[in-house]
Amino acid sequence: MTTNFVSAAELMAKVLGMPGYDFAIIDHPVSSATDAGLRERAIAALKQGSAMLLR
Amino acid sequence: MQLASRTYEADSIASVQELYHSNGWTDGLPIVPPTEDAVRACLERVMMTPDQLIGIEPVRELPITAEKLAINAVMAGCLPMHFPVVVTAWMAMMREEFLMHGATASTGGCAVLVVINGPIREEIGALGSFNALGNSDRGTAVIGRAIRLCLINLMDVRPGAIDRSTLGHPGKYSYCVAEDEDDLAWTTLAEQRGLPREASAVTVMAAGAPRQIMNEWTTKPEEILETFAAEMRANLRHYSIHPGNYALIIPKQLREHLQAAKWSKSDIAAFIHERARIHRREWADVGKGNVVRDRGDSVYPAMQSADQLLVIGAGGPAGGFGAVIPPWLGDKSYAVTLPIGACVDCEPPPSVKGSVR
Repeated sequence: MTTNFVSAAELMAKVLGMPGYDFAIIDHPVSSATDAGLRERAIAALKQGSAMLLR
Repeated sequence: MQLASRTYEADSIASVQELYHSNGWTDGLPIVPPTEDAVRACLERVMMTPDQLIGIEPVRELPITAEKLAINAVMAGCLPMHFPVVVTAWMAMMREEFLMHGATASTGGCAVLVVINGPIREEIGALGSFNALGNSDRGTAVIGRAIRLCLINLMDVRPGAIDRSTLGHPGKYSYCVAEDEDDLAWTTLAEQRGLPREASAVTVMAAGAPRQIMNEWTTKPEEILETFAAEMRANLRHYSIHPGNYALIIPKQLREHLQAAKWSKSDIAAFIHERARIHRREWADVGKGNVVRDRGDSVYPAMQSADQLLVIGAGGPAGGFGAVIPPWLGDKSYAVTLPIGACVDCEPPPSVKGSVR
């Protein structure tokens, strides 16, 4: 999830009966990011995802 | 008829308005108080019980009942005679191919365009003439508004909540048009989409704002339609390359030129399908060169097939104007047409591939 959509994701998790559902958060926007920026976002998502899975 | 919704007491019309506004139950405009009598009258009109299930929203599995639709329809200003259109529009919106959640939550900011066909137009005084895409008549105004209020109150489609629109457009207050069938030598939109002309019908489409065109300097169908196609090409360049349902609104003056030349709606759709397409490299002309890559020669039509074009005769009698209404996001959401007054427990009408959705 990008930073600008965090509140939307939290709301959807709540209305779907899963409040507090965890997700990785990366910088917004993705569509105009450079290759380097995309790499940074991918690494950030990987780290956060790993932390969730290995908790 | 026992209603299930909670009731509120208010001692003045002003306090009613504040109650609704302070709870976020409006679109910002004043509402008509949904009294029990008014709600019951709507339900009686469609012969539905309050708990009649209109459908279940697929993403959140929210049941939508007739009572809740009726409350919001009354709030929007609907009379009982308008309610069958609201109910049918909602049934159409809940069809899977419409993708209601995506279409109403997206940053793209589309609205639900409702097109009315058939005898019910005359019953509610929605004739699709002067100012057809604006405040043309009471019926289309309140029906379009009812759709939005239902989304707000039944689906939490509020700006910043489920509705993530960056800009939206004025059609999100009300976006409803009746086809001008009284003056239509063509098949109606509903006929195009597989229904008999004598049936009243509703078509819903996840739609961007109308883009107006003008060409008063020719009577040749190819030249008139080239102007529409140019606007569609502009949309493909400036907005979205995804193909899908586009709608053309063709008022009487341009319609007469097309009809005099014996062009049918199918002829129009075939021509537009051929002309409304761009090369991917054209994106570089409008600042989107980064996504052209090595596919510059690829051709992108506005529609996957000619029958995705919704050709609608509507508008005042004078003026060489027309409008292109683009889709929200191409083929992610398909327009849906349903007859009004069909049994809600019956199977939906058979689909014609690529036509009736």
